[in-house]
Amino acid sequence: MNAYRWADLAEGLSAEFEVELTRAMLDDFVQLSGDDNPLHTDDEFAKRAGFAGVVAHGMLTSALYSRLAGVHLPGKFCLLHGIDLEFVKPSFAGDRLRVSGKIIYLNQAYQRAEIKAQIQNGKGELISKAKIRVGLHEH
Amino acid sequence: MPDILTQLQPIFRDVMDNPSLSVVRDSSAATVSGWDSLAHINLVSAIEQEFGIRFALGELEELKNVGEMIDLMEKKLATQ
Repeated sequence: MNAYRWADLAEGLSAEFEVELTRAMLDDFVQLSGDDNPLHTDDEFAKRAGFAGVVAHGMLTSALYSRLAGVHLPGKFCLLHGIDLEFVKPSFAGDRLRVSGKIIYLNQAYQRAEIKAQIQNGKGELISKAKIRVGLHEH
Repeated sequence: MPDILTQLQPIFRDVMDNPSLSVVRDSSAATVSGWDSLAHINLVSAIEQEFGIRFALGELEELKNVGEMIDLMEKKLATQ
């Protein structure tokens, strides 16, 4: 886990990691969120809707933005203030997701950073993009 | 180039999530619904990025209303 302090941060500082999306993650997210829409649970239903199989919840893959901020950038002392999200393409169990983010703005007066982040699949296709606003606590 | 107050209107509407909002020089956190501490940080962040200027915390703490913010912005923009 990274542990950046405010003085360590700079515009352009970046982080990334990869995750393999599994069917178990989709099933766990159904339990966690209660969103059991058949698009996320029923392969046949998803195929009739035009997809290759069940589609991962957008909010499941977006949970990886929490990991980006809380573990990598800035990491240990992160306070998540907000996220603006945009879903671009669906993702599926078996996809290898690459989550990346870069600090694009630092508000020195209130010590808040804005991170431009994105998730791509193994083909390099954009799954979602986000603007993440974070502060840091002292302890 | 529209005046600063006109340029600030869409920023206020976006941050306060109120498309019909129209601020004047006397507008302040006491008179604008939704202008809480988090909205204030969002407002300052949006202004800094839109206008390419930076504020010090001490400068921001002295501001009493939108008019004083505009006066401060004009000083900063004039020295760029």
